[in-house]
Amino acid sequence: MKNIGIIISLLLLPVFTLNLAAQTLTATEIIQKADNKSRGKSSQGTMTLTIVRPDWKRSLTFTSWTKGRDYSMIYISAPAKEKGQVFLKRGKEMWNWMPSIERLIKIPPSMMMQSWMGSDFTNDDLVKESSIIHDYTHKLIGEEMVRDQLCYKIELIPLPDAPVVWGKILTWVSKSGFDMWKAVYYDEEQQPVNTMNAYNLKQMGDRTILTTMEIIPANKKGNKTIMQVNSLVFDQPISDSFFSQQNMKKVR
Amino acid sequence: MSNRPDIYCKTFMTDLLKLAWRNLWRNKRRTLITTASVFFGVVFATFVSSMQEGSYAQYIQAIVSFYSGYIQVHQKGYWEDKTINNLLADSPELDSTISRISHVTVVSPRLENFALASSVDLTKGALVSGISPDKEDRISRLSRKIIRGKYLKDGESGVMIGSELARYLKLRVGDTLVLISQGYHGTSAAGKYPVRGIVHLASPELDRSLVYMNIKECQVLFSAENRLTSLVIMVPEDSYVTDVQEEIKTRIGGAFEVINWKEMNSLLLKQIESDRAGGWIEKGILYMIIGFGMLGTIMMMMAERRKEFGVMMAVGTQKSRLALMVVMETVFIGLLGTVAGILGSLPAIAYFVKHPIPFTGQGGEMLKQMGFEPYMWFSIEPDLFFKQALIIFLFTLIIGLYPVYLISRLKIVNALKG
Repeated sequence: MKNIGIIISLLLLPVFTLNLAAQTLTATEIIQKADNKSRGKSSQGTMTLTIVRPDWKRSLTFTSWTKGRDYSMIYISAPAKEKGQVFLKRGKEMWNWMPSIERLIKIPPSMMMQSWMGSDFTNDDLVKESSIIHDYTHKLIGEEMVRDQLCYKIELIPLPDAPVVWGKILTWVSKSGFDMWKAVYYDEEQQPVNTMNAYNLKQMGDRTILTTMEIIPANKKGNKTIMQVNSLVFDQPISDSFFSQQNMKKVR
Repeated sequence: MSNRPDIYCKTFMTDLLKLAWRNLWRNKRRTLITTASVFFGVVFATFVSSMQEGSYAQYIQAIVSFYSGYIQVHQKGYWEDKTINNLLADSPELDSTISRISHVTVVSPRLENFALASSVDLTKGALVSGISPDKEDRISRLSRKIIRGKYLKDGESGVMIGSELARYLKLRVGDTLVLISQGYHGTSAAGKYPVRGIVHLASPELDRSLVYMNIKECQVLFSAENRLTSLVIMVPEDSYVTDVQEEIKTRIGGAFEVINWKEMNSLLLKQIESDRAGGWIEKGILYMIIGFGMLGTIMMMMAERRKEFGVMMAVGTQKSRLALMVVMETVFIGLLGTVAGILGSLPAIAYFVKHPIPFTGQGGEMLKQMGFEPYMWFSIEPDLFFKQALIIFLFTLIIGLYPVYLISRLKIVNALKG
């Protein structure tokens, strides 16, 4: 009888070691890999944002430049009424240049939760999305299939004093590819507020990324915002001084 | 005579009336004093009612002419959800369909939305109101409220702002006002406008936040070409509202909602109603006092005339006739006092309707703060006079029950002894 126990353990040993070898990535590392891939050291490209509502639809086209986690610049190129508006993010601050009134407006904290350009993204979303690494703890809670992709399911809980608006985020990051295929954002009462679905793996620059992102608010039927990446290149050198208030007025 | 009951009754009735009337004047002083108390009561009650109704009418007039108009047409659902996306599509056909309805005097377009208003370094939340300056003037006489600069002309670019807003933003005529907001379907709304005039609005809230501009310019700002938040419709006066409202609804169809000023200002109307109800309590107390005064007189009179009644009954007068006579006396006193009161108060009220009493000093300042002109207004609606008369009449009838009761219990023997 005693012998059977030993034999079973010996037989199962390889299984255990095999599993251990595969699971060397922590949840934080998975998130980091996904973030680094989608961001690169720098990026620039053009995108189209479509705002969908029950009775209407509107599209914006813009060029975007990013460097690291802290700097980004957006220049709106279409439609004509919005053309020429520029958004600059430096760290946690955000500015908006409106050529029609020749005003540079700093977005105050009170306006951070307002929608960006009428979409389902808020100003805060544009600024804070870089903090998913530092402001949260990450926990791997399983694996799930999302649109035929086997994904790590990771739960992000904000750190106690972190200045974030979400109570919890669930993300699905593909095991091969480290692309974020889905995310659900919860408020402090653990009620889902937004769902993000990503599609369309395409080659952009030196990597293959998901090029279509859809944000669907939980409590507004028929509302949706779709971000489509038209072109994107990574790791081109951009100087820090590009991301300045003076440059906002010149960028095209 | 006893075989002709109709003549018998008739003759007797007129005789009773004559008797009742003459009985009153047997004791001139008592009658005059009692009548005087009714008279003063009626005068006081009508003055108070007149002032109340006058204030309400003024209040309503201010709301209708200044803000809501008599009737408004909106995109269906706008009144419950006043957002820039709930706009109605304007067209010449829509305008002419409504204008053609009889008794419609003005059809005025409005496009309203909130925006941030700023001058060089200061910013404040404001209400932008795109209007037709000409039509708006016919509704609210806005042009008379200009204190600096000029009233906006139809089609002219630029804005007119409230004087408090101008003061806060440190703007003068000729300076530039910047407006930022979100427009129709989420577009950005931003523009620079020269200040053409400054208006002083009675309501401090509006004076602090209103920015008027021409409707076309406003539509461009909010990317809402040919769209409006409301069409304001005016009629000569309140009595036309219900019919015109129905007619509009029939002619323009279900994509719109058509509401009248009462529906738009239901909260304010409820305040007026509860105020009016409070007034009835005041008047109720007054009437009680008058009533008891009269009752006192009647009681005295009954006690004094016991012997007289005893004699009349002994001679053959039926108790019912006697009671009727006393009731007539009571009613006469009430009527005399009421008619005198109404006739007395009419000329004074008529004068004050034309020349309202101005409030000076602190009271006046407080009214101005609340957005009202500092006057006490009067109303000369016939209704308020008739109501007073009716109530006094009812009271006298009730008081008349007391002598009826006494007489019914009167024993000839005891009365004669008295």
